[in-house]
Amino acid sequence: MSKIEKALNRARESGLQVVPRADTTGSATGTSVVAYRTPHPETIPRMAQNEVRMLGAGDLEQRGIIRPQHGEDPVVQVFRELRTKIVQHSHGQNAIVLVASVNEGCGGSFVSRNLAAAFAFDAGKTALLIDCNLADPSVHELLPNASVPGLADYLENPSLDVEKIIHPIGIARYRLVTAGKRHEAPEELLTSGKMKQLMDTVRRRYLERFIILDGPPMSRIADNRTLADLADYVLIVARYSQSTSAQIASCISAVGDKKLLGIVFNEEPRIPRIR
Amino acid sequence: MQLLPEQIAGALVNESFHSRRMVVAIFVIVNILMLSVGLLWPKSYTASTSILVDERNIIQPLMQGAAVATDALDRSKNAREIIFGRKIMDTILDYGGWLKANPSVEERETLIDAIKKQTSITPVGKNILRIEYRDADPDRAFRVTEKVADLFMQESITAKAAESRAAFAFIEQQTQEYQDKLTRAEEELKELRSSNVDATTNEGQLAAKITDIRARIETTTQELREAEAREGSLQRQVSGEAESTADMFRESQYRARIGELESKLDTLRLSYLDTHPDIVQVKQQIQALTDNLRAERTRREEASRSGKTTESAVSNPVYQQLRREQSQNQSQIDALAARLGELQRQLQTEIGRGKRIHSDDARVAELTRDYQINRDIYQDLLRRRENARVSMNMDRERQGLTFKIQEPASLPLAPTGFRFWHFAAAGMVLGLLIPLGFLVARLQFDPRVRVVSQIAAVHKAPIMAVVPHLWSPAELKSLRLELMLLASVVLGTVGVSGIVSAMRSLKVL
Repeated sequence: MSKIEKALNRARESGLQVVPRADTTGSATGTSVVAYRTPHPETIPRMAQNEVRMLGAGDLEQRGIIRPQHGEDPVVQVFRELRTKIVQHSHGQNAIVLVASVNEGCGGSFVSRNLAAAFAFDAGKTALLIDCNLADPSVHELLPNASVPGLADYLENPSLDVEKIIHPIGIARYRLVTAGKRHEAPEELLTSGKMKQLMDTVRRRYLERFIILDGPPMSRIADNRTLADLADYVLIVARYSQSTSAQIASCISAVGDKKLLGIVFNEEPRIPRIR
Repeated sequence: MQLLPEQIAGALVNESFHSRRMVVAIFVIVNILMLSVGLLWPKSYTASTSILVDERNIIQPLMQGAAVATDALDRSKNAREIIFGRKIMDTILDYGGWLKANPSVEERETLIDAIKKQTSITPVGKNILRIEYRDADPDRAFRVTEKVADLFMQESITAKAAESRAAFAFIEQQTQEYQDKLTRAEEELKELRSSNVDATTNEGQLAAKITDIRARIETTTQELREAEAREGSLQRQVSGEAESTADMFRESQYRARIGELESKLDTLRLSYLDTHPDIVQVKQQIQALTDNLRAERTRREEASRSGKTTESAVSNPVYQQLRREQSQNQSQIDALAARLGELQRQLQTEIGRGKRIHSDDARVAELTRDYQINRDIYQDLLRRRENARVSMNMDRERQGLTFKIQEPASLPLAPTGFRFWHFAAAGMVLGLLIPLGFLVARLQFDPRVRVVSQIAAVHKAPIMAVVPHLWSPAELKSLRLELMLLASVVLGTVGVSGIVSAMRSLKVL
């Protein structure tokens, strides 16, 4: 855990609101303590009451999700660092991060679910993983019951409440929204006003909640444009021995400098420590 | 994009782990291939022998310049020609036991080619020839090497003796031919000289003689002309004298008588009348004499007109004298004319002879030249023949070129060339290098990104994270198993390679 994270946590515990500084003097810290404020009515304590024990350690490992207990694991370290960098970028405020693969099979879903897990490690933050890859969803695999209502159901059904699509998976401070039923034309759904409304709602509901959008591969450029508009930051996931330099270049130019956080190079074949 | 060496080194470890199965598979396949090649590679044993070619002996300095010794530099070339010649090769085929299988002509050719390839002849130093022969059978390698050296020495000595004998025979024949030519030229020269003695007179003498004759002809011609001129003059004098002198003499006698009588008449007239008888008589006498004178003049004129010499003329002493001179002159003219004719005949003869002498001289010069050239060559050949005879005798006595086995062939105990362990070691090295080379090539040329720094260098976007694979316990377990399996495969390959090499070196296999 970085020094900044620790300081932020301590500030929260003492009831301080951490907001981005209004001026742009380029201070190295980028954050400042401005005011006391009362905690939001629906904050972490209440969320803790709703935690359910659904996934065990074995299940997590099977589904490729990192655990804080494996602090020494390089993957855990990497995701922690990634989380820290994002927090630095957002100046401590919650943010919507779109994670998109360069092409299929680059491990965008793996990165997004673990990035969410890394946020959930932090007792002062919560994570919401939303499966936006409506054509080829994968987040539902994390739930024992895959047929729960998801994003597509919510967007199509006006009567469905937001609460109904946010599901806990047994990890503290970790929630997810599945893609819902399969949809052949996801673009129309994602561009709808309700989608934007949903983003606003979930972002405002918990101020310490970081929303990770598991996006479709960048080859589906139209979907990603829409999602990038909704998101604050975009992470591009390239995979070792799969993505070419040209593909990465086209993704970078498609996202644009403004929202692009950077590139995550996935599946580097390091020799693991074998016990 | 070209990678830097340190980038390649780091990436190569990751890449090897990533493609571990392929790396191990290539390692095993390369090793199996190399072991198979090593097992199938024919063993070869090399036997070698060195021959000392001794050209320094006691006779050599003595015969310096007289006998020609073979040049040492050509020796290995010569040896190659002799050994790979049909004669020795056929003997070797028989000796090495290759003919037991009754090979066809083509097979024999192939066998000979193979033997040639397995034989190497190299000059070691100045006078040592090294003959090496390689064969799968050590015993045959030894025997063939020994035999080749033996045959080579025999053949060289025989060939050298035959060569010097042939050289002597040739020079002998040439000498004989030139001797014949020389004799012929001598005889021709002798014949020419004896058939033409004039040939001894030289050109200068002849020219002097011709000049002399010409001078004499000129003198004679001059004399002849003078005599002829005198002759003309005498002729004129003779005819003039006859006319005037002889006849005029008589007329003058008449005139003198007439004068005498007229003076007598004058005297008488002084005393006597004209009618005096004396006077009349004298008058008559004068008349008679005048008539005679007239008649004489008429006769002389007639005679001069008719050209007849009158008797009176003949009796004229001057005339007589002139006639005598004329006669003498005439005989001198005749003599001179005869001499001139003789001289001219002599001149023609001499000129003819001069011409003959010229053609004879050319012939003599030609014959003499031929003779001299033939004589020189003949003398040279005689010298050469003696040299050749000495060389031939030296070879016959085996004094010119001697061979000595410096290092005899021995039975080869260890095979030469590539050994089995060479292949085993090459298998190990290549088994590592080939997959690594392949991985390096893939790193360099595959457009798919494998090195993070490559992304950072090309694109402006920062690298947020480099995520290794998240190994689940089950995956780790299977990875452990897999790695153990791969390690055991590699160790097994190395072990098999080592065991086969050991068995091979112990000649179990």
